[in-house]
Amino acid sequence: MASFTLNGKPVSVEVSPQTPLLWVLRDNLGMTGTKFGCGIAQCGACTVHLNGSATRTCVLPVSAAEGGEVVTIEGLSDNDDHPLQQAWREHQVPQCGYCQSGQIMQAADFLSRTPDPSDEEVTEAMSGNLCRCMAYVRIHRAVKRAAEISQASEASTAGVGVFDPSRDQEVTHGQV
Amino acid sequence: MARFEDQLAAVEAQGSDAQGNDISSNGGEGFTRRGFLIGTMAGSAMMAFGLSGAAAAASDGSANNGSASESLAAGRYEPTIWYAIAPDGTVTVHITKAEMGQHVATSLARLVAEELEADWSSIEVVYVDSDPKWGYMVTGGSWSVHHSYLPLSRAGAAGRIALIEAGAKLLDVDPADCRARHGQVISGDKSVSYGEIVSQAGLERTFSEEELKEISLKPASERRVLGTKGTALDVPAKVNGEAIYGIDVTVDKMLYARPVLPPTRFGSKPVSIDDSAAKQIDGYRQTIELDDPSGVCQGWLAVIADSYSSAMRATDALKVEWQRGDSYDISEADIQEQGHTLVNSPSRDNGSLFVDIGDVSSGLEGASEVIDSTYTTSSVLHFQLEPVNATVFEEDGHWHVHCGNQQQTLAVGMLSKALQVDKSNITLHQYYLGGGFGRRLYGDYTIPAALAAKALGRPVKMLFTRPDDTRFDCVRSPSVQRLRSGLDGNGKVVASEHAAAAGWPSAAMAPAFLIEPVEDGGKVDSFAISGADHWYDVGAQRVWAQQNHKAHEVFVPGYLRSVGPGWTTWAVEQHIDELALAAGKDPARFRLELLNAEGRNAGQAPHSVGGAERLRAVLERAMAKADWDSRDSLPDDVGMGVALTFGQERSMPTWVACIARVKINRGDGSVDVEHLTAVADAGTLAHPDGAMAQLEGSLLWGLSMALYEGTEVEKGKPKALNLGAYTPLRMNQVPKMDLEFVDSDAMPVGLGEPGTTVVAPAIANAIQHAVGVRLRDMPMRAEALKAAL
Repeated sequence: MASFTLNGKPVSVEVSPQTPLLWVLRDNLGMTGTKFGCGIAQCGACTVHLNGSATRTCVLPVSAAEGGEVVTIEGLSDNDDHPLQQAWREHQVPQCGYCQSGQIMQAADFLSRTPDPSDEEVTEAMSGNLCRCMAYVRIHRAVKRAAEISQASEASTAGVGVFDPSRDQEVTHGQV
Repeated sequence: MARFEDQLAAVEAQGSDAQGNDISSNGGEGFTRRGFLIGTMAGSAMMAFGLSGAAAAASDGSANNGSASESLAAGRYEPTIWYAIAPDGTVTVHITKAEMGQHVATSLARLVAEELEADWSSIEVVYVDSDPKWGYMVTGGSWSVHHSYLPLSRAGAAGRIALIEAGAKLLDVDPADCRARHGQVISGDKSVSYGEIVSQAGLERTFSEEELKEISLKPASERRVLGTKGTALDVPAKVNGEAIYGIDVTVDKMLYARPVLPPTRFGSKPVSIDDSAAKQIDGYRQTIELDDPSGVCQGWLAVIADSYSSAMRATDALKVEWQRGDSYDISEADIQEQGHTLVNSPSRDNGSLFVDIGDVSSGLEGASEVIDSTYTTSSVLHFQLEPVNATVFEEDGHWHVHCGNQQQTLAVGMLSKALQVDKSNITLHQYYLGGGFGRRLYGDYTIPAALAAKALGRPVKMLFTRPDDTRFDCVRSPSVQRLRSGLDGNGKVVASEHAAAAGWPSAAMAPAFLIEPVEDGGKVDSFAISGADHWYDVGAQRVWAQQNHKAHEVFVPGYLRSVGPGWTTWAVEQHIDELALAAGKDPARFRLELLNAEGRNAGQAPHSVGGAERLRAVLERAMAKADWDSRDSLPDDVGMGVALTFGQERSMPTWVACIARVKINRGDGSVDVEHLTAVADAGTLAHPDGAMAQLEGSLLWGLSMALYEGTEVEKGKPKALNLGAYTPLRMNQVPKMDLEFVDSDAMPVGLGEPGTTVVAPAIANAIQHAVGVRLRDMPMRAEALKAAL
């Protein structure tokens, strides 16, 4: 039995502990947004957040996630409005799209640690993720753009109380 | 030369697939699309191409077929409904092409929307499953927009005409006083929406084939959709995990399978199978031998388990002794040795003539200097990121095959042979493709999944691991090419002979696509030689396409993004540079001298209108953008090189010029590509942002193959099976790029592939300019350059 938190909800799955987390997410929990590419943690298509860090799941035993917090592309935002998702649409990044969940999860972790990255920092952070369609120009552009969106939204809300109905509802119903 | 489009139409008209199997639903009688039916079914307007005779019968009313609506409703003619308008105004466009990153649905829907004058926000697309009524289903060759331009534009225009006529009646005005805009028919200050017309009046109209052809499409100045900015319909689902690919399919009671591949593609057999270790793995069920009447899977096994993770581990634990096929001992060097032999004495015994103009032999004999050079390319992997897979089950005698695929018609024919059931009992259900690049033109990967489902009597999802996918890849064949060209005393090219040897994809997979370009010159796979019939004026010209049978013994030579032009452009564009050097001329200006839009290079309207003049234009523009004149004053070990391509076929030219600027590191022989400039003329751009994405990606593909990819066949399989050994371009290897499309309203041509072919020769020419070394083997490895310095 493996137990962890997936996109904010506790889950338990009857699998052998050495099963890679990727297959537990995809085949047992139906989260197919995370993809299988190389199977040796070198392409990045299987990237999710484990306890807040971008992590490759195709060779990671599910036991490594025991009791942990896992976030997949499906749980990155409530309304597909994470700054990276906005920027990805704005710059029309995906071609075949297969690697993009991994690219976005990698970039989300990177931006959370490096909110105002230089061009070189973006390139360094994203060079581990293969895009076979070679949409690299747009991936780079969109990561930079997402940083701008995040900073603008922080600036606009700094020190100002904003009524957010979704947040209000969460509190009312005691949801996580 | 025959247009490939015509060849495809001929194959389709014969009612057979590319392997010569009957594909029609009516016993091989064959079919062609004829008239256009517009009728109303279940409250929605349907716009359909009728099968042969249907529209005629409906329109003249002579048969007891009644109206277009009745014909549609009765399903009497299996009309192919290309789009429909619902009472709420939603326009649903049916997409028969595979969505694999090119945003094809967006481009095709734009063709319809432009002439229909639809409101873009009302457009929806549906990717259809395989059905003979769609005709020959194939997505490749950079054809989709070019081949669809006239039929879909006319279909949209026919719908607009019918809507204006019906709308005018509702508004009680003369149709001549009406115009259509944004999903409305408008007359003065009165208007009625398409949805209202459909729900209140319905549509009833037929167009004969002739009437359809007579519809004049909107002039470019009136376009409101094509050529304008806009987003792709498939992007939103690809940023939130909702896009469903073949690998994401699940069905009830499904078992998981991983193939166990024999040591060679052909002729291996399992001798003994020991699954005692596999049995220790939770979820392992059994290992089965696949008995394949179609011959695709020779000596294959499949490991069956309750989860894919278990199937993977159990396969690794399996101990199998094999009797190996003979090709185990054929190496890449053996294949290339055969290639060298073929190009040194090309003949009809191993191939055919592709171009034969003038007297090449005496032209070369009379030349004052002959440049003789040989070029090679190594095996290249598709490495589409979603490994091949299929989920298959049988229900009530009908077989359902779920996967992403680029050539459904061919796959269904192959499945029919493997399953021993009629094609009418097989449907391929289409999904997003996690990369196509030509790999999924061959549906061989559906066969083992189908055989396993048949053997077990249960739904099976078979997924290849990355190394499995690579071992089973239909790689881009290695190639050898020899070019000999003669210059006269003034540095003018008087004769040129080109011989190219490689595996022929069409011979292996789709023999009906072989053509005879030169009368009595024999059949040739144009996909393996296209590009050698270039637009330069080189005097007498002869081109030989030679089939390297040794390659076919080891693997199935594949169509890989751009196919033949991927190697022919590598040779032609370096050879032109070598001729320029010998003539003492600037290589770009030498090209301009050879580009004369005269005779066979004048081009033909509409597809190649302008001919060589358009290639001149993109070259001149690229020279200006890249500051070509700075080439004579670059720092040490920095060079600039140029290359041109006309894309995939002379009959569908996409004109591209590329200039590369490189810096050579003498220490290790590595090449820094500092800058790529490219200018492309692809005629009208159906979806300009998508076009730019294709140009960006295809150029980087070209860079990746030039310097970082390539492997070799060894012991029955590619030597590099996964990342680490195989190293496609990463973000930190992307150069600065300056790209531009020529503003053109000519007929749209293809964009998925053309950018891939120009980068490698532009880099090779730049390396020669920088350090005086000519690298004639692709990929260009640092070790090779270091050794030559």
